[in-house]
Amino acid sequence: MNELLLKNARIIDPARNIDKVGDIAVANGVIVDAAELKAPEVIDLTGKVLSRGFIDVHVHLRQPGNTAAETIATGSMAAAAGGFTSIVAMPNTSPSADTAGAIEYLHRIAAEQAVVKVLPCGNMTKGGKGEEMAGIGSLKKAGVVALSDDGKCIQDHGLMRHVVEYAKSFNLPIMDHCEETTLAAGGVMNEGKWSVLLGMNGISKASEELIIARNIIFAREIGWKIHMQHVSTRESVDMIRRARAKGIPVTGEATPHHLTLTDECVKKFDTNYKMNPPLRSEDDRQALIEGVADGTITVIATDHAPHTETAKLVEFDHAPFGIIGLETALPVCFTQLVVPGIISIPQLIAKMTVGPAEVLGIGNYDLSAGNAADITVFDPEAEYVVDKNKFYSKSRNTPFDGMSVRGQINLTIVDGKIVYRQGC
Amino acid sequence: MTSYVKLFDAGKMMAAVRELAGRIAGHFASSDREIALVGIHQLGVPLARLLHEELEKMGRKAEFGMLDITMYRDDIGTRSLLPMIHETVIPFDVNDKEIILVDDVLSTGRTIRAALDALTDYGRPGLIRLAVLVDRGEPEFPIRADFVGFEVSLPAERKVLVNFESSENMEAGIYDVKW
Amino acid sequence: MQWKRKDLLGLYDLSAEEITYILDTAAEFKKVSERRVKKVPALRGMTVVNFFVEPSTRTRVSFELAEQRLSADIVNMQAQASSLLKGETLLDTVKNIEALQVDLVVMRHSATGAQNFIADRLKCGVINAGDGAHEHPTQGLLDLFTIREKKGGFKGLNVSIIGDILHSRVARSNIWGLLKLGANVTLAGPSTLVPREFEEIGVRVCHNLKDAVENADVVNLLRIQHERQNNGFFPGIGEYSSHFGVKAATMDYMRPDVLIMHPGPINRDVELAGEVADGPNSVILEQVTNGLAVRMAVLFLVAGCRK
Repeated sequence: MNELLLKNARIIDPARNIDKVGDIAVANGVIVDAAELKAPEVIDLTGKVLSRGFIDVHVHLRQPGNTAAETIATGSMAAAAGGFTSIVAMPNTSPSADTAGAIEYLHRIAAEQAVVKVLPCGNMTKGGKGEEMAGIGSLKKAGVVALSDDGKCIQDHGLMRHVVEYAKSFNLPIMDHCEETTLAAGGVMNEGKWSVLLGMNGISKASEELIIARNIIFAREIGWKIHMQHVSTRESVDMIRRARAKGIPVTGEATPHHLTLTDECVKKFDTNYKMNPPLRSEDDRQALIEGVADGTITVIATDHAPHTETAKLVEFDHAPFGIIGLETALPVCFTQLVVPGIISIPQLIAKMTVGPAEVLGIGNYDLSAGNAADITVFDPEAEYVVDKNKFYSKSRNTPFDGMSVRGQINLTIVDGKIVYRQGC
Repeated sequence: MTSYVKLFDAGKMMAAVRELAGRIAGHFASSDREIALVGIHQLGVPLARLLHEELEKMGRKAEFGMLDITMYRDDIGTRSLLPMIHETVIPFDVNDKEIILVDDVLSTGRTIRAALDALTDYGRPGLIRLAVLVDRGEPEFPIRADFVGFEVSLPAERKVLVNFESSENMEAGIYDVKW
Repeated sequence: MQWKRKDLLGLYDLSAEEITYILDTAAEFKKVSERRVKKVPALRGMTVVNFFVEPSTRTRVSFELAEQRLSADIVNMQAQASSLLKGETLLDTVKNIEALQVDLVVMRHSATGAQNFIADRLKCGVINAGDGAHEHPTQGLLDLFTIREKKGGFKGLNVSIIGDILHSRVARSNIWGLLKLGANVTLAGPSTLVPREFEEIGVRVCHNLKDAVENADVVNLLRIQHERQNNGFFPGIGEYSSHFGVKAATMDYMRPDVLIMHPGPINRDVELAGEVADGPNSVILEQVTNGLAVRMAVLFLVAGCRK
């Protein structure tokens, strides 16, 4: 029952340094030795790349609170279509995921409706307001995999230090949205040449860098893992690089959009170029790419942030921050980073598998027999044009619509079950 | 392919200009009011200038002005493109003047309608007459010319082109243009 | 050339040729206002909505008068009077305006790019009467018109703009227009209000009044907003005035034929001493007169090019 034989794929398993053509066998939800199969469904994957399922540590599912933009069901389907077998749900829903009850709700709905694994992230502070510590112990007990106040940032450094110390005792990694608010207040785009030319309020790079510096200091002082969400500036990358070289337990993620777009895009006044942190300068973009290439940045995460068309179809100043990314992450990164030779396919896969797994403290995230059969297959040669109207996500707020891309997801398998299949 | 058929050569055209000037001078010989020639952009302006020179030669003093009627057109916003506005110069008081409006071709009459509106916004002329080099005979408005060089009858879709100055591409003269 | 735009959103978008074309057209419209009958029928039968989602008196009056002199029918909508406060989106509001068979929308909005956003989504023409700190193209054009009328041209002309450049849409429209037409642009004011990033587009930035004005053919002074003081951009109006205000004594080291310009309303004796504002070098009231001609030209061109 429920057996799969995935034949002739280019198997890439960065955790074990494997890159070879071969077969992967699946039975009863786990990866097995091919010899154990009795009557498997055989899928020929000649020319396709197979890896352990992608993990996105940064997804907004909007449920509860804004189900017009996304639901756990549609968001998880979008994740499947993007090759993600596990997604970490950010806690800034309404109400916030700051209590065990909220986490239980998420687990229950996900169990009923989600096609991929939805891993809950709990708030660091009550309501994500940065004022009082949330019930971190209860959250851990309810099953959160990490803590974050994403969308906001604790400004009170004393409180932040206590949160990190306390989270350490519960073995919960911190994922921080790094933003000092006085340097970002009123800003709608990167502060720099283009904000000056367009006459828009800027969000300074220093706003992010100050908090990255703070978090590095706390990670060193407390000896606990802090993951910097959506890193966007050159100096941030440099600080993380130096900290990691000293053995300080910090990690950083980059989003596909920060790796491929710059603040100049804002001159079109399209609100699908509005996100926080904002698109930065070309120099920052290059620094992020260098960070991805040299291993400073170990995670590519989408910061999938759905908004309804109504919410986004307004003046740039008044639009909410954020774009969706689950269904474009692989093709955009493949086209912009792998095709030009900046990083290799195994490097890209590592940023979407072992890198995020390490942040969450998941070991052995590889294709060894016995591991859960969470598997992603994509075609590195397939070319197509992104069409937002074909998305599974409930929202359409993407700047990548109409872009010609290479790299198409063919199969997404969660616990041995095919949840997405296209072109194979 | 656009074809150009010459209707009148430069010699006949200039003879007609002189004759027009003579008739204007004759008509206004007994008038004691000042007269003015006002050319309508584009080709009414060089024609008015030529008529003005001829009148001067005959010893008939006249004021000279030029008028752009673009702001007075009745088709703004219905055409995909707008004609360029040329300089309007009315360097005299139009009140009580006897004014001869000058245009190269009287076709639909719409330009003259616009010119009358434009001119009367400068004041209250004593009298306005119209001189044209070519009258096509079938105006869309009840407008007739008082002084006419040539009468030309052509289907409405054809264009009559007046060229006062010879160039590499085209000799001076009056042409029937067919698209 | 032929005018081919259904909207006027900013001088950043225009070529030097297009700017010159507008200025030439404006010169003819200026004559209309000098006649006994100060009106032409150009926009007869057309409807223009002046939609101001930010308070304005001068610009609105200038546009209204320009529209009346072109014989357009006019409707004025203010932000507080409009349905925007009832939660309707901007796009819905302007779509409703357009559904009333309006030909042109003249719009001011506090958000940068709001006009670009709606122009792409409307069939009727959109004229930007100021958006955020982005552009105020008709003000830029009237400044250019005034400079051209007084100085004959722009090539090699030294134009200094002084004040709160960071928050000024007037400055940005002037900068784009002046650069395209070949002038040398200097920006001056407190360093917190005059970002160095402007140097990247070939503009000189300085933070010293004497340095900014001594070789200037034109000095354009911007209104300093009192509220910037509260946001910590500079210590106070008094200090601003003493360092960057043009006073009678400033005239001693300026060129004798310098043009003194100001988009208004003037803070007398703050950025500009009253005696200089009223003095022989000032063309401030002529700017207002020219604004009418420029707005007539823009309305006429944009209305004439509807597809």
